[in-house]
Amino acid sequence: MPYIKEERKETISVEGDWDIGGSTTWKDSTLLQGYAQGLKEKRIIGSLCPGCGKVIVPPRNICGRCHRKMDEKVVVSDIGTVTCFVISAPFAKGKMQVLGMDPVETGLVGEGERVISVYVKLDGADSNIDTELIGAKPEEVYVGMRVKAVWAKERQGKLSDLEAVEPLRD
Amino acid sequence: MAGRVAIVGYAQSHHQHDIQMTREDMVFEVAKGALRNAGISREDVDTVITASTDFLDGRTISNLYTSMAVGAYLKDESKVEEDGAFAAYYALMRILSGVHDIALVEAHTQGSVVNPHLVSSYTLDPLFERQYGFLNDISAAALQARMYMNKYGVSEEQVAMVAVKNLMNAADNLNAHRKMPDVTVEEVLNSKLYYDPIRELTMSPVSDGACAIVLASEEKAKEITDIPVWIEGVGSCQDGYLRDRSLYKLDSLQKAAQDAYGMAGVSNPFAQIDVFEVSEKYAHEELMIYEALGLCREGKGKTLIEKGMTGKDGEIPVNPSGGALGADPICATGLIRVVEAAKQIRGEANGYQIPAYRALAHGQFGICAQKNVVFILGSE
Repeated sequence: MPYIKEERKETISVEGDWDIGGSTTWKDSTLLQGYAQGLKEKRIIGSLCPGCGKVIVPPRNICGRCHRKMDEKVVVSDIGTVTCFVISAPFAKGKMQVLGMDPVETGLVGEGERVISVYVKLDGADSNIDTELIGAKPEEVYVGMRVKAVWAKERQGKLSDLEAVEPLRD
Repeated sequence: MAGRVAIVGYAQSHHQHDIQMTREDMVFEVAKGALRNAGISREDVDTVITASTDFLDGRTISNLYTSMAVGAYLKDESKVEEDGAFAAYYALMRILSGVHDIALVEAHTQGSVVNPHLVSSYTLDPLFERQYGFLNDISAAALQARMYMNKYGVSEEQVAMVAVKNLMNAADNLNAHRKMPDVTVEEVLNSKLYYDPIRELTMSPVSDGACAIVLASEEKAKEITDIPVWIEGVGSCQDGYLRDRSLYKLDSLQKAAQDAYGMAGVSNPFAQIDVFEVSEKYAHEELMIYEALGLCREGKGKTLIEKGMTGKDGEIPVNPSGGALGADPICATGLIRVVEAAKQIRGEANGYQIPAYRALAHGQFGICAQKNVVFILGSE
């Protein structure tokens, strides 16, 4: 399967540099900060809607259904259920670019490896988080599979503190 | 018009340089505020039209992210990639189509998160203007100002008088951003020079802000409120791109105004309209707007400002709210003019009320006011 498009033949091009030298800022309330700080303490935080009672993880400041602010924060479980999954094609060197890099060349994934992306509904949440399933083969994953968060050894209050999920073993 | 449409609710933020809110919270506050002002809830709304630009919002198809904040969840929704006054025009058409009865219109920009003048450079022709690198919206406005001033013998002092009027007016407006109750012509002329003759105080400030209105069909409007503000006339017009435009006049605004006057049955705007809220992104543009709106002869805008006729106590008050020079949250600015005009008709312009039965609101977008929209609002 061709991952990279063939180089397009230009009909005409204009040479020139145009350094726009700009940047943009995203104003955040304390949503991201609060969520990331929670991860540092192995706590997964969601926002609770006072109208419909739904818990959204990661937190959001507005419930679109009720058109209300969701100021209250609650902690949900780090155990949840797979609601959907996607298995990638086998990774191969020179076939794919992620953020401008070749993931196989950089050692992020092995040659021929297939990555499992999962949608997980954590216990106590009404929404799904998207993350990676590790510790299971592609043929082992199923909808309804119980999984548990895999935490980084040294957590720094960053989104990457929650590394992935793995099958919950009794 | 076949059926009539009225403004039945409105809200705007306290515009400021660096608002301490997320974009979504800002949008939520005005959307909720406008619905509350109209005395209706989200469930009553049929269609939602928003306005912002993806460049200013910092992401593409940016309404996908603000849809829940504005109240568009599971509703008909669309976005205008320019000023909110055009979104109001779009919403009006959707109601007139007969398919929708109540529309929520929202517009916003956080000018503090990105240099908006840089963003305007993206609107330039990539093959020529961008390669030369001379033009941006400020330098283009300077060309426009000089062309206008040279043609009609307008002085920098006369242009500065517009800034003095509007910045002083802004001081009485709670929602305005740049309030200067004691500003003088001298102070304006001594403010920082960008591109001659454009100075800090003759160009609009970079503001964060949002604005929302609720529009309703005649039947619904009468159910919802005792003080509907009727849209009596409307006109929208697009000019050519920079190179082949007469920069010394606003042709597209003139055409838009004529259409709006025709629809509203206005033959003499000077006598028949009580107050004007216009989007002067630069002080000299307000003089050009007087002319395009037919308030005076071509080139005589300077006489109106010199004689104080467009001041709050004048014959034809223009921008008693402070206009765009008082606050310019870019995509919201024109919609704010619509709200300010509606406030005048409802008698709710606290501190700057003009006795008004009919008002005009103007919005613009694009370098040198390329595109313009005009609303004529009335109480009956």
